Amino acid sequence: MSWTARLVLAAALVGVSGVWPLLAHRESASIVIVTGQEATAPVPTLMEKSQNTLANQDVADQLFLRLADVGPGMVTAGDQGFVPMLARSWTRRDSLTLVFDLDPRARWHDGAPVTSRDVLFTMGRARDPAIAPRLANVTRRIASVEAEGEHRVVFRFREVYAEQFYDATFHTAIVPAHLLERLPPNAKAWTEFAARPVGSGPYHWVRRQQGEFIELAANEDFFLGAPAIKRVIVRVAVNADARLNLLLAGEADATENIPPPITNIDRVTESKHLRVVPVPSSNLGYLLFNQRDPAHPGQPHPILADRDVRRALILALDRPLLVRAVLGRYGDVPFGPVSSQLWIHHGAPTPAPQDQSTARRLLAGRGWVDRDQDGVRENRNNAPLAMNLLVTASSQQRQQMALMIQQQLREVGVKLDVIRVEPAVWAERRAAGDFDIDFSAATQDPSPSGLAFSWTCDGPGNAGHYCDRGADSLLFRAMASPTADRGLWHQFLRRVEEAAPAAFLYGQVYVFGVNRRFPEVIIRPVSSWGSLWRWPAPRS
Amino acid sequence: MTRWLVRRTVQAAVTFAIAVVLMFVLMRLAPGDPLSRLQESRPMSPQEMAHLRALYQLDQPIHRQFAKFVRGVFTADLGTSIEHGLPVTTLIASRLPATLLLGGAAILLNFTLGLWLGVRQAVRRGSHVDRALTVLSLAGYATPSFWLGLVLAWLVGIRLGWLPVAGMRDPLLPPDAPWPARMVDVAAHLVLPALTLSIVTIAGTMRYQRNALLEVLRLPFIGTARAKGLPERAVVWRHAWRNALFPVITLFGLWLPLLVTGSVFVEMVFAWPGLGSLAASAASSRDYPLVMGAALLAAGLVVTASLLTDLAYALLDPRVRYS
Amino acid sequence: MSPLRHALARAWRDPRGRAGALILAAVTLGAMIGPHLLPDPLAQPCVLTCRDLGPSLEHPFGTDDLSRDVLARVATGGRISLGVALLAVALSVTLGAVTGLVAGYLGGAVDTMLMRLVDAALAIPRLFLLLLVLAVWEQVPVLVLVLLIGATGWFGTGRLVRGEVLRLREEAYVRAAEALGASRRRIIFRHLLPNTAGPLLVAATLGVGDVILLEAGLSFLGLGVQPPTPSWGGMILDAKAVLVAAPWAGIFPGLAIVITVLAANLFGDALRDAVDPRGA
Repeated sequence: MSWTARLVLAAALVGVSGVWPLLAHRESASIVIVTGQEATAPVPTLMEKSQNTLANQDVADQLFLRLADVGPGMVTAGDQGFVPMLARSWTRRDSLTLVFDLDPRARWHDGAPVTSRDVLFTMGRARDPAIAPRLANVTRRIASVEAEGEHRVVFRFREVYAEQFYDATFHTAIVPAHLLERLPPNAKAWTEFAARPVGSGPYHWVRRQQGEFIELAANEDFFLGAPAIKRVIVRVAVNADARLNLLLAGEADATENIPPPITNIDRVTESKHLRVVPVPSSNLGYLLFNQRDPAHPGQPHPILADRDVRRALILALDRPLLVRAVLGRYGDVPFGPVSSQLWIHHGAPTPAPQDQSTARRLLAGRGWVDRDQDGVRENRNNAPLAMNLLVTASSQQRQQMALMIQQQLREVGVKLDVIRVEPAVWAERRAAGDFDIDFSAATQDPSPSGLAFSWTCDGPGNAGHYCDRGADSLLFRAMASPTADRGLWHQFLRRVEEAAPAAFLYGQVYVFGVNRRFPEVIIRPVSSWGSLWRWPAPRS
Repeated sequence: MTRWLVRRTVQAAVTFAIAVVLMFVLMRLAPGDPLSRLQESRPMSPQEMAHLRALYQLDQPIHRQFAKFVRGVFTADLGTSIEHGLPVTTLIASRLPATLLLGGAAILLNFTLGLWLGVRQAVRRGSHVDRALTVLSLAGYATPSFWLGLVLAWLVGIRLGWLPVAGMRDPLLPPDAPWPARMVDVAAHLVLPALTLSIVTIAGTMRYQRNALLEVLRLPFIGTARAKGLPERAVVWRHAWRNALFPVITLFGLWLPLLVTGSVFVEMVFAWPGLGSLAASAASSRDYPLVMGAALLAAGLVVTASLLTDLAYALLDPRVRYS
Repeated sequence: MSPLRHALARAWRDPRGRAGALILAAVTLGAMIGPHLLPDPLAQPCVLTCRDLGPSLEHPFGTDDLSRDVLARVATGGRISLGVALLAVALSVTLGAVTGLVAGYLGGAVDTMLMRLVDAALAIPRLFLLLLVLAVWEQVPVLVLVLLIGATGWFGTGRLVRGEVLRLREEAYVRAAEALGASRRRIIFRHLLPNTAGPLLVAATLGVGDVILLEAGLSFLGLGVQPPTPSWGGMILDAKAVLVAAPWAGIFPGLAIVITVLAANLFGDALRDAVDPRGA
């Protein structure tokens, strides 16, 4: 290569790296959020199919509004504590009827007013199992939704229960009837709407760069007050390392949940332009024991059907160590299947500490003794106390914990094989019951009634085939209670812990990373960026 | 020659078809299906699963799904991606420019710098330069691409702040900015990923070129050229090099499609919106329509590249005959 | 002495070849004997207090994020990584050489069929292919892993060798041998093979590193060697999470890979010079 060519190449490189920092816009009234998943269809009731992801919900939260939001106390029972949104006020006509009065100032981004017709249209879609099966399931206790004039909506319920208000308002935001009601439910035209959604929220759509980012701009006519942050960019970086790099380099201003391991949190803390914001999360990690034999469906599991064995396994674990080692300060050991976001988490009993001597005693008592001195216990038929632990490859922290759990159980004579599989395979095996112990992580609904999905005898998500009718009745009583009764819920949790269907390992606290130029960061656990419009203007 | 070309093209088409069928079969054989991934965020009831399955026609018998796929190939309708909800052709088309940009930059770097260094090594065989280049290029080759990418991103992007760490462009740059500014923006984002991709692959080009040129330099006609008094530069570049191109051409043909689908780790670490990472995540989430779309593209590229390489052999060396 | 032993002896005499062979021997020895002398690579003695420690007398390579001794893991990991790499590469180079020679020399229908097969297989990205095959089986024993990696790695070499043979079969000495009535087998193995040794050996030496890195990629996707069994590729992968906090956790297995690849390469170079009938 001649010298001229070399000079030209060098000049180009210097030029590019010299000019680029000048171009890098750091506008003060904007925020760049980096996420791990692309929001492909951020439209309520449309994203319920294969795109029911948190990414879609986060963007939809900027564009669309609900009738009312869950308050900062996160209480989902009763009618108190909710924050008015599209509904300015509400009254209760009787124990089965709620009436909402819409705010007449509310407008869609194209200028049309928000009316009761929009609410009826949206709830009609949400309650249709052919369109949104999951939504239809959670709103099944709503009997009817009717309009009384342009700005009043009446909800009637099938039964008396504490979470009527929650069911009427939380599950879906409202979509514009005048733009969508003529479209057939599954038409391609919906894709066009999803490509440029029109909502009534604090931000409106500007553009999307496929695979890279979405840009939103502040709705200056927002009836609850125009946002101080004028531009919102939601940038996507699937790889966790790339996300962290963007944050550390200042090319992104905020991310939810700094990726593991916890040393990354230290990196953010040490950075001069970033700060960490812990937020309770709905993420719960636990080891699910399969009480049916994976090799012979219908038959009880040869090892795990025995409650004392399950209890022994739980006692053998040093759960606080697991949490401290992998999550640091940002997590705790839960009592029962309760993440830190649920309101019943407050005041729950303390989980049992590690007790290896009791664990050994229990195992020996049930006939598991190390007869051949190979470090692994056997029963009377000389079958070893060996099981597999299914872990998904997509979770770094679960993999790390699994290795620690393997060592801890080794100490009491249990042989655990860690089987790490692809996410798609993990989901399939879990659903098929093809595992001994599954390392599950659930994202819970803010309402504790979501526990019925996995923790009742007939719950559709009960992959471990746990069954305790007494616990079930306690749960149903708590769900049906007209008031928020912590005592009842805690009774249920105690019963579940006694039945030992799983080892509840951690309730995680997410650690958000946000640029320091944002003086006040308001994050509600139920929606990461839903309060963005309330943030004060950033410093320049 | 023309007869051979026609026959060869037909064979290419057959190969293409076989490869595509193979991939379809393997994809369906693998455990897990597109909907199982959704279970990760929120647990779904069996009724919901059944409903979604019907929606995406996953409950149809396999031969009917295959027939639909084949029909789609001929009508250029490759279906809708389950994960993204967009038509597969749209998705692939939107990612193609980024892929070509990255791949093109890497190939350019590779085959200019790599060839030149390889020739340099052969000419100064055994010298310190030769040895140092061997060690350096092998060190680059032996480093995992994601590792190298992360180190470069940290060093150049975070520590020094000279270049952007990820993405293809700055989202805050307005879309109506003047095109030189936009070009510089993309160029700046391109440097680190292209560099990473080149460093880990340049060793191959260098080694093969060096090896091939060494063998040619030993040939008698080189001695003749030297005896005639030609400057060494001319001897190497005008006479020797052309004969040492065969393995390099093969490499080019092998790498062309690979740079579209094989730069997965680099694309992931730098959040580069290319086809590699799209295909990898589609495979992982069993997004059948999207995977097959990417597979079709990859297969098409390979088959075409192979055809072109064979053609190049014939053109370069008149002694090569095809029966 | 057979030509191969002759070549090996010549390679040994070459200082580069000797260095490469010695390093390879040292690494192999370390992998075989090391684990017996070093602490348990699986033990996590003090996860909170002695994790991510730098190199010290007690832990010459430091500890990783789960407080495991990195030196012990590198030594144990060497067994798997080296074993898989060497065997798989041997397999793929053999397959590639045979296919390329036969296809290139015989030409015609044989060439067409073989090359179309290669094309079809090449059209499927290797990682993709392995991913799918491994997904169907989920947990494969290491030997099967070797066979799979080897069986999916010969296509490129096959095409390369065939390209060389296409050119070589027109050479004067080949024509002469044909005219003298030499059998096809003799021509392939006596005349063509040594002349394609160049690209073959380059492919082999590069392939070793290739396979080790491929194994790292497989770990990335949850396939390949299962935890907690250490392998060099898997260790580099785990270490990327603590790139800044504990760089030694990734540097040492990375160095192990680089040194092995380098040594294989030096030896390969020397061997190629020794085998090449046109002399060094």
